[in-house]
Formats: sequence, C-alpha cells, structure tokens
Amino acid sequence: MNKQTPTLLVRLWHSLWTTLRHAWAKRETVSYPEIKRPLPGRWRGRIVLTRDPDGEERCVACYLCSAVCPVDCIHLQATQRDDGRRYPETFRIDFSRCIFCGFCEEACPTLAIQLTPDFEMCERSHDELVYEKEQLLIEGQGKHPGYNFYRHAGVAISGKAIGEGIGDTPPVDHDTNLP
Amino acid sequence: MGTMRIDGHDIPFQENDNILKAALAANIEIPYFCYHAALGSLGACRLCAVEVASVDPTQSPRVVMSCLEFARDGLNVSVSAAAARQVRQRVIEFLMINHPHDCPVCDEGGECHLQEMTVACGPPYRRYRGRKRTFTNQYLGPLVHHEMNRCITCYRCTRFYQDYALGDDLGSMRLRNEVYFGRFQDGPLTSPFAGNLVEICPTGVFTDAVFRQHFARVWDLETAPSICPHCSVGCNTLPGARDGTLRRMRNRFHPELNRWFICDRGRYGHQYSEHIDRPLTPRVRDEKVSYREALAAAAEQIKAARDKTSGLGSTREDLESNAMLQTLLNKLSGRFATFSDPQIETATVAAVAALQSSGGAPSLAEIEQADAALVVGDLTAHAPMMDLALRQAYRAGAKLAILHSGPSLLARFAATTLTVPPQEISAHLLRLHEQATAAPTAPTAPAPSNKHEKELADIAVYLTAAQRPVLIGVSETMAVPEIAAMVQLATALGSRAKLAYALPGANTYGTILLTPTTSTTAMLEAIESGQIQTLIVIGNDPLGDARLGTRWRAARRHLSTLIVLDCVATATAEAADILLPVAAWAERGGTFVNYEGRAQGFAPVFQRTEPLPNTVEVLADLAHCLELALPDAAAVLSNLFPGYQAPLPGTLGSALSAPPLTMQTGTTIGPASSAHPGHWQVALASWYGDDPLASYAPALMELAPAAAALIHPTAAFKEGIEDKKQVRLRGPAGTVVLPVQLNNDVAAGTIALSRVTLTQLGVGHGDLLELEHIS
Ligand code: SF4
Ligand code: SF4
Ligand code: SF4
Ligand code: FES
Repeated sequence: MNKQTPTLLVRLWHSLWTTLRHAWAKRETVSYPEIKRPLPGRWRGRIVLTRDPDGEERCVACYLCSAVCPVDCIHLQATQRDDGRRYPETFRIDFSRCIFCGFCEEACPTLAIQLTPDFEMCERSHDELVYEKEQLLIEGQGKHPGYNFYRHAGVAISGKAIGEGIGDTPPVDHDTNLP
Repeated sequence: MGTMRIDGHDIPFQENDNILKAALAANIEIPYFCYHAALGSLGACRLCAVEVASVDPTQSPRVVMSCLEFARDGLNVSVSAAAARQVRQRVIEFLMINHPHDCPVCDEGGECHLQEMTVACGPPYRRYRGRKRTFTNQYLGPLVHHEMNRCITCYRCTRFYQDYALGDDLGSMRLRNEVYFGRFQDGPLTSPFAGNLVEICPTGVFTDAVFRQHFARVWDLETAPSICPHCSVGCNTLPGARDGTLRRMRNRFHPELNRWFICDRGRYGHQYSEHIDRPLTPRVRDEKVSYREALAAAAEQIKAARDKTSGLGSTREDLESNAMLQTLLNKLSGRFATFSDPQIETATVAAVAALQSSGGAPSLAEIEQADAALVVGDLTAHAPMMDLALRQAYRAGAKLAILHSGPSLLARFAATTLTVPPQEISAHLLRLHEQATAAPTAPTAPAPSNKHEKELADIAVYLTAAQRPVLIGVSETMAVPEIAAMVQLATALGSRAKLAYALPGANTYGTILLTPTTSTTAMLEAIESGQIQTLIVIGNDPLGDARLGTRWRAARRHLSTLIVLDCVATATAEAADILLPVAAWAERGGTFVNYEGRAQGFAPVFQRTEPLPNTVEVLADLAHCLELALPDAAAVLSNLFPGYQAPLPGTLGSALSAPPLTMQTGTTIGPASSAHPGHWQVALASWYGDDPLASYAPALMELAPAAAALIHPTAAFKEGIEDKKQVRLRGPAGTVVLPVQLNNDVAAGTIALSRVTLTQLGVGHGDLLELEHIS
C-alpha cells in the first residue's frame, strides 16, 4: 500500500458525501419557461420609448442615446410637429446588436428611453430583432412617472408659450426700454 | 514681434496682437466667447480671463481679459492660475443662470461653444434656484431660426451683421440683463450673408432653419472638404450629409478667399441636390430604364450619327467632365462647345483673356485691402463674397464707384453711383479712361450724357489717387467692348491696379480654357443646317437659355437624339431623348477653377442611397460602349495643361497655367444704336439666390423677389406708367404681363427684369423690348 492511499480515500469519501448531500438539498433552479423567476425592476432588458404625463411622446430626437450606444445599434431621424415639438420620425433599435448596457437610458435627458425587465426576445431571423418605433413606443410613462421635459425646457410648444415653463418669468417685452 | 510666456511656454506674437490671439495662434486654449478673428475684441463676455504677473515682484499678479490686453515682450501669463480659473467659472455660472435647459432640442448641441466652455470651465451643477428671464422669438425668414433664450450677450451677431456685413435689420434692443438680439419686427433677414449668424453665434440662438427640417447631430454627419458650386468665387465649404442625403453647408476657412464666411446662396443653394424633381432614374424617351440600357441606347444613337455627334459642356460642370467630353468628341470628330449663348461666350473669353494678361485677379483678401474700387454691374448677385470683401474695403475707408443699369445692393455703399442703360456702359468706361489718363485719346467714343461728367471726374480722381485700386466687372452682363474698356482703364492706372471679373458659373474659368473660339455660334448653326444629329449635353440648359432659348428649342427639332447628363430637371433635361442622371457635386470629386484661375479640388462627401455615376464615369462608360479608348481624366488634363497636377481637396488650390486666350473684339451687345422710341433696354435684375443650381433650392427661393418690371420713377412718369400697374412686355419668345415697380436704382429708359422673365420673353441683358400699357 502506498503511503498516500489513506488521504486519497478520505478525499474520495468527502466528494461522495458532498454529492449525496446535494441530492436532497433544496433546488435553486426553476423549470423555465413554465416557471419564471421574478426579476428586479432595474433589470436591463428590452428597451421601450415612454410617454410623458400628457400622453405625448417623450423622445425629442436629441440623438444622445444613439451617440452613447457602444455598439451603435440605435438609429433615428429627427423631425418636428408644426407646434414646435421635436420627435423622432423613425427610431430603430437593432436588438441583435444591443448589449443591454443601459447607457442610452442614462444618457436620455427626457427619460424617454428605458430598459425593461423583459429579455425574452428570441426570433428566427435577424430582421425581426430590428425594432421600429411602433414596436418601441409604449403607452405609459415607464419607471419615471411625472417628468415632462417640455415643462422645463425654454422652447415653446402648443399649450406652453415662452415664459410659461417651470421656473420661468414672463417674457421680456423687447419693444420698450422701461424697466 | 516678440515673445511672451504663457504657463511656461514661450509664445511668439505679432505686433498689435492681443494675448488671446497670440495664444490661439500658438494652439494654447484660452476659453473665450466674444472674440472673433474677423470681428476683433469687445470684452463683452469676460470669459477670457488670465492672470498676468506684475513686472514689479513686490506687486501681486492681476487678472486681465486676454482679448483686451496687448501682448508685450516678456509678459508672463498664466491661464491655469487659480484666480483666473475662478473668474472663468463664475462667468459661466452667471451665464447659465438664465439658460433655458433645452440642449436636447437645440440644433447647436454637439458643436456649441457654450456647451464646451461650460464643461471646460464651469461648475458642474447649477446653484441658482431662482426664476429665469425669458424672451420671445422672432420669425427671421426661411433660412435662420431664432431661439433667443439661449443668448449669452456676446454681441457677435450684431457685430457681424451690422458692422462686418453692413446689414441694417438686426440689432440689439433693451438693456441690463435683458438685451435682446433680433429685428425691429418679425420678417426675413435681408442681408445676403445672414446665414453666417448660424456659425458666428456661439450658442443656439441662430440655427440653420433648413437643416432643422431634417436635422442630424454633427457627429453623425459625413463631411469632406468641398468647393461651393454656385459662383466663380470658389468659396471653400464643408458639406454635411447623412443617410444618403445632403443636409447642410458650412464655411471652411481659406486664408485668401472666403475665410470665415460664405454667402447664403452657398449655404442654402445645396438643396438643389435634394430637390423633389431631381432626376434619379435614367430615361430613354418616356420610358424609365436601367443605367446600362440608357447607355446602350445612347451608344447606338452615337454610332448611327457617328461624326454627326457633338457635345455641349458647361460652366457649372467640373474641369474633368468638360475635358472628358471634349476628348470623347475629338475621337468622334464632333464639335465641342460649352456655352448656350455666344455673347456670354465671347464676353467670358474676353474677361479671362484680360485676367491672364493683367497678371491675375486679386484674391478676396486683396480686394478687402483696396482703397478704391470700380464695380461694373450687380456684383452682389453674381459673386456675393466679392461684395462682402468690398464692404470690408469700404469700412476701411475705400471709395467705391458703381456703374450699373439695374438694382444693386452694393450701391448703398458707393461714393459714386452711375446708373446708366446697358448700352451706355462702355461709353462711360471709355470716358472714364479718358478722364483718368487726362488725355482724350479716342474721339470715336460717343460722349455719354453730360450729366455724368462730374461723377466720372470724381471716380477718375479717386481711382488715380488710390494706392491699391481694384476694378471688378460682372462678365455676364458685359460685352467685349466694356471688358476691353475696363482693361484699358486698368492699364492706364498702372501696375498697382488689379482687375477681376465675376464669371457666370463655378468653373467658367476652367471651361473657357477648353472652349474653341466662337464654338457656340458654330454649333448652333451646324445643328440648324442638319450637320449635327446627336447632341450630348452635360450640365447645361441651352433650351432654357434667356436670350437664345427659342432658337435652341427650334434647333432641337433638327436633332434626332438629345442626350442629357444632369442632376437637375432643367428644360433641356426634360426635353431629352436619353436622360442620364448624374451625381451632384457633393456626391463626387472634381476640380473647379475660380475667377482667379485657381484650381481647387473638391472631395466626394457621401453616397446617395441610389448610387449615381458621375459625369466622367458616364462618358468613360459611353466610350467603352462605342469601343473607343478614352484616357482617364487625369491624363486628359495633364495633356491639356502642361504640368497639371490635380489640386488636392482641402488645400489652398493651385494656379492653372494655360496658354493665353485672345480677346475677340467686334461683337456688341444688341443693336449699336441707342433705344428708339417705344423701345426699352432690358437690364438683368438678378438677386443673390439666382444661379442655375440654387434656383432649385426651395427655402432660398422663398426669398426670391416677386416678378415685376422695375422702372425708374422719372422714366415711368414720362411714359405715364404708374406704380403697381400691369404692363405687357413683348419679346421674341413671348409676351408677359407684369406689375410695374418703381425703383430708383434702374437706369432711365431701362426695364430691369428677373432672369425668369427674361427667359419667358427670350431677351438678354442689353436687348430691346416693347412695353405696352394695359388700360
Ligand atoms: S436620448 Fe432620449 S430623447 Fe434623446 S433621442 Fe434618445 S430616446 Fe430620444
Ligand atoms: S444671439 Fe448669439 S451671437 Fe448674438 S449676442 Fe446672443 S449669443 Fe451672442
Ligand atoms: S460667393 Fe459664390 S462661391 Fe462663395 S459661397 Fe457665395 S455662391 Fe458660393
Ligand atoms: S473674449 Fe475676451 S471678453 Fe469675451
């Protein structure tokens, strides 16, 4: 008998015991997809575009999300309504490239773009993973209720003239020199 | 000259430089807003604070505004000193107090000086919790968008608009922290240089209203060094494109030409390449076909016509395209011409010959240095940036004399304005020459109406007294005698006098060097006599020519095939049997030769979604179909111009050396006799947005003056014509009914009409016309 044999046996027994113990331990895995685990609210999954409290599109097509995106998967084209509101004419996210880093959400000055805890986006072809604006825009405000960019910004839109924003004073009458 | 120290680096400076200017020249960044190389220092923004060590070591250093302090030898400056940094931070903090929190919807974002300076010097957070001052905005026309809340009161806009470009409808109003920059009332800005506000304003108060409609951030734009295709000045530009469409135009610095600015035609004319009617698919007769099919059809027709094939080049096509067409036609033993109007051809030959023999035209920087200038024609409409250069000369005290027949924006700044009918211009020039030489030599010249003697004497006095006189003519509205008279005058003034001509088209200088003499007349006659069956037209519009359009349209019936290569839907492109749409200038590379004879290269900026071949490629493909061996454009050009090297885009360009042209005399404009009763002389009332390409730019065209017959009040009174009354004009091509507009800038016995009206009537500048009252 080798000098080391007793130590080997102890080790072997130890491994067997561990395996045996786990056979009766409580299960950590769930049978996905029949059973779904609850995900934390800040989980970074499928991206949506949200609306402001007035039900209008929040996105003002500032291009910041597309600029910050490390894999360059956001493409949009800005345009504007007659009342002065900027919005994206087209907005496209290629989810086959998106790495769900959440940079776009951080960059967005209007809280429009948000990542949701939905990650189930399996498709058979690449094309179907390219989401257009209709697929991205949701009806609600997402996780940041209450914020309305145009109430703070200086530009005029219908229903909010210059000087009517939060923290604004009425506009200066530049036709007079009286104080 | 001297050296100072900035943060431990020795920095050279020129005499009268301020610290900021010297530092910027040495690539040392001192933050600033209100300083501008063209506008100088004002001290309005207080951001350029630096610390200057005292000469006396017992005294503590002080903080100064670097734009207001002259650089001195041995001066010890610190940009990074804590005191200076603190001043800059506070300045930014104060500027941001009223800032409207709208960067996401501001078009300046990404290239905003205020953003950059705030990130570089300012506090990261806003401490101010009070309420913000706000301003309403104004409608400033289709080109410039106004968003006054973003202003930081640097006064750059008014300093540019009023002081530099001499505009008078934008200024500052009110006082204290409520200074407002705008117009007295809403309305389009009237200056032809208004678009520069977009670049001069360091924030987003003035932004590009055209770009705004199809906005993209600067980091998404594809750019490449380019040359403006809208006139012979050849300003350097930087187009921006995205997703296969051209979005905007910016100025690109050229030290001798446009420097920091471009005109509004250059900035907004590019929209022609996005025009809704732009031809994008090849067409054979009425059928849309593929490129290959169109090419094959064209080749078939050319083969059938063989030596009965000819070609018409264009002054708005680059050097390469014209040279290739010429070479192709040489191989086919066909004729080659480049103009649709023989009068403009001879005038251009004369002008370029004059430029060659006078030792070269002055650059814009040299025009700015002039101390006296004579301008013949409406310079603003034909070469806007030459006008801006003359405005700088005027600001420095130069005396300007203007000899013109129709309205001219420059006339406001003239010391002497002579408004004479087109056919009397040359007599006035000859008389001026006599006065300048003080030795009446040519008694053959008919003495102009005596009432102008005094003015002519004045002009002669200040032109002869000047150290750096400049003579500038608008060649499109001049005939050979006038051009020759200007040369004579320049010669009389001696070698200090500089001569320049504004030519019609971005590449006129280059094109005319390729054009055989009197080729336009010869070609037109050959077509009319059936010697030409197939005509290849590149970038030209003979059928839409003002004076000869009718004749070309009639001649077109003698052609069996009209092959057109163009990027705009001209009358000729519409009438084409075979239309091959080609890339617009920003979609391909090439070379334009400007009014000085400076060859400048432009680079392809982007590719359209529907890729279009350029003219050179089409011609090469055509030659291939015809089984002809055509050398490439570079070889063709080095053959034509000895020692030719294609000028690289982004460089300053190089002088094109070419054998001298000879002026062909003997052609006059219209009949030699003066107007007989009932006949009016026609003057072209052009405006700065009107060139064959820019007239397809919708936003610019919104500013086009309404069609009218401009008549001098005295002349109108004599004829019993009232303001706003309709009159009927009869020309060879048709009849037009227009309202009369009384205008003091029109010569007696002259009707000034827009280019569009001239085309409808079939007359040119200097021709005669019937006017009928409508009761
Ligand atoms: S960052 Fe936000 S507002 Fe800007 S384009 Fe993206 S989603 Fe729209
Ligand atoms: S409008 Fe622009 S250029 Fe004019 S003062 Fe304000 S910030 Fe300066
Ligand atoms: S002056 Fe002529 S070349 Fe210069 S920007 Fe204007 S149109 Fe273009
Ligand atoms: S740049 Fe010196 S005060 Fe504005």
